[in-house]
Amino acid sequence: MTQDVINAVGRETVSAPSLGTRILTHHLLWPAVAFVVLIVACGVFSPGFLDITIRDGHLFGQLIDILRASATPLLLALGMCLVIASGGIDLSVGAVMAMSLAISLTFLKGSASANSVPTALVAIGLGLLIGLAVGLFNGTMVSVLKIQPFIATMIIMVAGRGIAMLMTKGQITTVYAAPFKAIGSGFFLGLPIPVVIAAVVTVLVLVVVRKTALGTLLESIGINRQAAHLAGVPAGAIILLVYGLCGLLAGLAGMVYGAPTMAADANNIGLMKELDAILCVVIGGTSLAGGKFYLSGTVIGALVLSTLERAVIIFRFPSQTTPLFKAVVVIVICVAQSRTLRERIARRSLRVQAAKGEVTR
Amino acid sequence: MRTRAARFTRILSRLTDRRFLPVLGTLLTLVIMLILGQIFFSTRRGGFISMPLFSNLLVDNSYLLLLAVGMTFVILTGGIDLSVGAVVALVGLVIARLLTSGVPLIPTLILAVLIGTSCGVLIGVMVQVFGIQPFIASLAVMFLARGLANIVSVISIGITIPANGRTDLYPGQAQFAALASWSIKFGEGRGIWRITAPMIIAFTVITIAFLVLHYTRFGRTVYGLGQGDGGTAVQRMGLRPDISKITVYAVSGTCAGIAGLLFALYTRSGYCLSGLGMELDAIAAVVIGGTLLAGGSGFVLGSVCGVFVYGLIQVLNARWGLQSWWAKVFIGAVLLVFVLLQRALTIQRTRRKQAALVMADAIDPEFR
Repeated sequence: MTQDVINAVGRETVSAPSLGTRILTHHLLWPAVAFVVLIVACGVFSPGFLDITIRDGHLFGQLIDILRASATPLLLALGMCLVIASGGIDLSVGAVMAMSLAISLTFLKGSASANSVPTALVAIGLGLLIGLAVGLFNGTMVSVLKIQPFIATMIIMVAGRGIAMLMTKGQITTVYAAPFKAIGSGFFLGLPIPVVIAAVVTVLVLVVVRKTALGTLLESIGINRQAAHLAGVPAGAIILLVYGLCGLLAGLAGMVYGAPTMAADANNIGLMKELDAILCVVIGGTSLAGGKFYLSGTVIGALVLSTLERAVIIFRFPSQTTPLFKAVVVIVICVAQSRTLRERIARRSLRVQAAKGEVTR
Repeated sequence: MRTRAARFTRILSRLTDRRFLPVLGTLLTLVIMLILGQIFFSTRRGGFISMPLFSNLLVDNSYLLLLAVGMTFVILTGGIDLSVGAVVALVGLVIARLLTSGVPLIPTLILAVLIGTSCGVLIGVMVQVFGIQPFIASLAVMFLARGLANIVSVISIGITIPANGRTDLYPGQAQFAALASWSIKFGEGRGIWRITAPMIIAFTVITIAFLVLHYTRFGRTVYGLGQGDGGTAVQRMGLRPDISKITVYAVSGTCAGIAGLLFALYTRSGYCLSGLGMELDAIAAVVIGGTLLAGGSGFVLGSVCGVFVYGLIQVLNARWGLQSWWAKVFIGAVLLVFVLLQRALTIQRTRRKQAALVMADAIDPEFR
């Protein structure tokens, strides 16, 4: 009913885009299409794919596995999305994952009561703390010293794994501690705890960013930091904040990712994860140039990425070919969203219309 | 007498030109590291600073030199190329696969380098035609190359002289093995050092890159593109920013292709996991070599110095008997120092630029 009215008005005032155009140009369209296509294709190819069963009160199934696998990239990507919105980038998150896991497991190994809940909480606190510390270091480099984000965060990316190795003294630290392990492999209300953590963090970030002015201020910084600063936006403080948050979430992601195996392998934990996180953000429609950002798109991006990884296995491709499919998805989505391409198509259709007009006249 | 002094001061002032300051910093670091090595690691039989040291540095880092040279072009335009490490792996594997199935050497090498070039062109087209950011475009090609490498083979393929002696069936393989072990030897005993094929290739490429960047129209365009105005200035000068931008990535891709060849010569094999993170080594070397990541300022020879600093850190680390991860910490620290140094220089530069603009406005308000 209302839509009809809008359409009727739209037809008269020309400038308002129709519903179809709005859907076609919506930022969530292409990632959502990719996600649905992947899920449907998997469901058709492997009939049991969409089943969810309940065992011992816990949910099991391929879809739950996908949710669980997307928890880590999502935690990284949420922080990354805010950093990218500010016009920056954070390459250090993979190394931060290794550092947080290294410090928490080393602490657990050294403590006498590794199986008690308070000890596990302290270990988690340490991991979060080191993430926050690295994030604030990055933030200081970017906001106070005004060093390019790429290179500022690359320092920790290079040195971070070395520091993690120093913590574990070059060993792969393994330890058994049930409460700590639970954050990676436990269940809460039937859902895997990583999924619960990711969901809670997503809601928290969404509320903080979108229900306060923070999101808008962040976008203004990403579009033009100088202008934002002149308009009274505390640009430096907000940039420091988003890098700190990104580091904090990376620390959390490291522990969630490493808890099921309880082994701190500083060389391999979180390797190339920063690139996955950036991919999630980009697939979600956020431009690396900064400014406008889409947290909902980022969530879908993380889901697309982990569904893709699962789909490669379901379609019985060798799992090493996953990068190839990632590349195809990124290229297709980026080209589809490319503003240059859209402008070119729009110009061509205008030209075609003009030509037709000439003919009829 | 007076003219000689004048000439000397002129040369000196040219050398201490503000533009060269970052590279001078790199050179200074290099010298300090060499002196440290000379003090701590000279034995009675020979000093630390010796021809074998430099020879080994070149042998161990020839592929990194190539990557850094290609990366310098891209970074000068304000772009980035993350695909080079994956391209090294892909090219190495293709070489190994083709040679072990009996393809002659020359066609294989040409194809290998062309694979690198086409990866670069792909990035360039995505960046220039579709307006995708270089970071994402090269990231996509990085995944593409990694995936393709995994399709070629997931296990390491060795390139050796065929064990059964059938060099007639596998001519390329034998020639490749011969090329890998070919060298001109100098000196005797512990002072022995050699010049190998990868060194000659690396030197040739560096020379060509230097000449192209500083003495051709394309080189001017590369510097112009890095001014951060979307190529407007370059276009008004009558140069071609669009073609040049694609070419820059093609140059980087080609260098990565040649680097893949050098890496295959170095390891005498191809492996899908080789070159992991190598793009960051290259970027770090370029930054240490005084090139601004924002583009527009930097030198090929600076990047070469950067690679030497990078290699020397690892040598010193090993001589000190520290575990290899310490090298990462040191490289991070050196990177930090250089980035802060560069920052201090750019602050000065922007102040001068602003002052110049104010002056220009005062003289001619229509100037802008």
